[in-house]
Amino acid sequence: MSLITPNTRARGGGGAQKGGVRRYEHNKIYAHPLPLLFVEPPPSRIGSVLGLLGLSLTRIENPHCEGVFDPTTRSVWVTRPDDALILWRRGFFGKGDLSRSEPSWLARQTNIRASGGKQLTSEEVTARRRAERRQFKLDRAAAIAAVAEEAEEIFATEGRVIAPALSGPAIPSAATWRPSQSAAAAEAEAAEDEGRDGPLEDEAPLVDVEHLQLTLQEAFFLLWNLDCLTVLDPQQTHAMSLKEIWLTFQSAELPPTIPAPPNPFDTLQFDNPFLINYAVYHHYRSLGWVVKSGIKFCVDYLLYKRGPVFTHAELALVVCPVYEDPADQQSSSIALQNATPFTWSWLSTINRVNSQVQKTLILVYVTIPARSRVPLDVLRSPACLGHYSVREVIVRRFIPARMRD
Amino acid sequence: MDDSLEKPSSLFPKTPLTDEAPEDDEQLSDEEDGGLDWTKLLPPSARPIIPRRGEKEFEPRSGGGTNLQLHVLDRSRLAMFDTLRATRTISSKAVSYAVWHPDISRSHVTVARGIHFSNMGHSAPRSVQGEDGTSKMQRRLELLPEEAIYLIERGSVFCWKKSDLEFGELPGLSDVSGTPMTVQQAFSEMIGKEDLTIEKFQVYAYLKRLGYVVTRTDPPDSYYPIPPNLSVSKTTPIMQRIKTLFASWMSTLVQAVAPAFNWWKPVSLSHWLHHDKKYLSLFQSMRFIPSGHSTLPTIQSNVTTPYRIFYNVYKPSTPFKKSAPPPPDFQLVVVNARTAPMPSLQELSDLFDILPEAPLPTPRQRRPPTCAANNAPATPPTRETPARIASSPLAEKSLVRRMFPWLFFATPPAPPMPARRPNPFMALKSGKKIVIVAAVDSSNTSFFRFSQGEFTEWPMV
Repeated sequence: MSLITPNTRARGGGGAQKGGVRRYEHNKIYAHPLPLLFVEPPPSRIGSVLGLLGLSLTRIENPHCEGVFDPTTRSVWVTRPDDALILWRRGFFGKGDLSRSEPSWLARQTNIRASGGKQLTSEEVTARRRAERRQFKLDRAAAIAAVAEEAEEIFATEGRVIAPALSGPAIPSAATWRPSQSAAAAEAEAAEDEGRDGPLEDEAPLVDVEHLQLTLQEAFFLLWNLDCLTVLDPQQTHAMSLKEIWLTFQSAELPPTIPAPPNPFDTLQFDNPFLINYAVYHHYRSLGWVVKSGIKFCVDYLLYKRGPVFTHAELALVVCPVYEDPADQQSSSIALQNATPFTWSWLSTINRVNSQVQKTLILVYVTIPARSRVPLDVLRSPACLGHYSVREVIVRRFIPARMRD
Repeated sequence: MDDSLEKPSSLFPKTPLTDEAPEDDEQLSDEEDGGLDWTKLLPPSARPIIPRRGEKEFEPRSGGGTNLQLHVLDRSRLAMFDTLRATRTISSKAVSYAVWHPDISRSHVTVARGIHFSNMGHSAPRSVQGEDGTSKMQRRLELLPEEAIYLIERGSVFCWKKSDLEFGELPGLSDVSGTPMTVQQAFSEMIGKEDLTIEKFQVYAYLKRLGYVVTRTDPPDSYYPIPPNLSVSKTTPIMQRIKTLFASWMSTLVQAVAPAFNWWKPVSLSHWLHHDKKYLSLFQSMRFIPSGHSTLPTIQSNVTTPYRIFYNVYKPSTPFKKSAPPPPDFQLVVVNARTAPMPSLQELSDLFDILPEAPLPTPRQRRPPTCAANNAPATPPTRETPARIASSPLAEKSLVRRMFPWLFFATPPAPPMPARRPNPFMALKSGKKIVIVAAVDSSNTSFFRFSQGEFTEWPMV
């Protein structure tokens, strides 16, 4: 049932390139799992001597990217294209605000101007595949209707009952159907038309208006662990300090208090969604997964091995916060999502959505430290993250009829 | 795509259907959601033609069905009514007899016929009145309420209710005393006895019809056979305890000596140490968020929970001996989906605590299925690769070794072939400990598998 079959992928996504070539290029482009680079010096005698001692001259190259905190969207905007490219290619951080994932708005616009360039962006590939799929379904429905009409005819004239076939030689299947020549020709013609019209128009040079936006979790992961991101305050007057960022990112997720409290630390609480999501994000990033948003599939995160360009995300995470002390939940000012167990209908819903796209549902339980156990002062520094804990429970539908062996 | 589905057809299956043995028609009844196949309930001559499953028969045209569509629909509907109208009969030679004892919630099987009792019922010693008036202990076959209802409902057992009324000497009734029970009476009297709810019975009957062997996890009485070593012993081996003690002692020592973890700068890369300048160690140094099911949960537990393991389930292929049942293939919790929400973390942890650890899934074999089927029931999936099983010890022995076996007596056996590392995705998705929850929502059952994930054991870097 899946649309993600090698067949369609090769047909729709490949373009002129073959799978192997593409994988080789991807391995080169996305060789580094994190923005930090370890640059090996040329081999030398000193290097080999040091190597025996467990020392090395390998240089750590830190890209030092720059972003701006945007409180309205609760994200950090990376506007310099070079920085955006580094963050995307080394670890797949962020998302283009006008794109599905990689910031590709400029490339798409260029493609449109060049009228059907060879290099399709992933959005264009998807659009084309969907159009093809729609055409296939129309063709199939027409063929089925024709066969049914024939059976109807026989019943009316001869009185014989024939069950009209829903598949067979007369009806196209996904494996055999190809976009018809006429459709392809029409497309090519349309492209040609555009091409003819194109140069006539007076075109302003394209300006990249897209930026990469990092979620607060991604931004904090980059700047706290790897120190490769500088975040400017919303007015872009100064670079925010780590302590300032820690406080700002937490309060961005809290409802604003009016008037502002004299001491900003007073508003902090353990069940802050930023802290819970960060614990999950950091846990899976540190295990080497590429963690992306799963909002498309009713879940919080998707886990990719190596990255979205390499593999299909087989795991979908739902973050389920658990209060160590249920009394904290009663007194909390935040109505935390998924803090109470799901109903079975909701579990079935998200499980159905995710198994349809070949993903396994993982419930990630994050325990929220009890106020009675941990003093609130801990929240003033990232040390509080040591009091949260992460556990996974894998959910799959169990079908007795298929488990009998 | 849609083409992978079975092609619907309104023709009879080639092989004739048999009515007697339910095990024979497993192949035909393995619809996932168990839609009732009406054609099986009528004798072959009277069977109407009904498409078994698959896609819808037709898509109604706008403005109502066409003549052909109406004709097909009417025919199918009529077949269902005919089937329901038909009288169900059982042969007096195949039927078993039982007596329901409400005081002990058991049905005593007086006449056992057929193959059902190879995996249903258990024997219990009860005192019976001998002919000379003295009471003596005698073992007899007894059925639990769910077993009795299931057999009564499918027409395999004719059940009487124990009664003290005297019938006198009626022909054929000398060995039973009591009144005959209807199916309805069996349902209303036996549901609610011995922890049986209607949900639990529905799950039991569904699994039984699929060919599974289903037993109780908690023995309802002391005579009920249970699998050995099911409960995980809480006592850890002494070496392991020493190890953990040592490890905790070491960690306290390290904590005392090492500088305190700087939470403002969690990852510090040395500019000189070779070891630090690798992505692997960089990722490793970031793993400081507590995780895993071994970290002790400190959540307050509630006492009343519906999440208790109720059934042990064995696959049809698992060799099952009633008197000495093997460890179960699955363990099942049954809840009412209307009253019980999904299990909380605490309830899941409590379940995982008493469950045994499941073995790693075997890599998918690319051999013909007959070979795999021979191996599967006998050997539980282990970390060994099939290649190792295949290599026989004789073939490895050289001529010299075969001639002078004493010479090689002390040599250790050849090191086992390096076991292929299992696919981490398979291990991640199957989890370590598995519990099945059947959520019954007014007789619609959905089964879910909850398993304990251990992502920290399978890092991607």
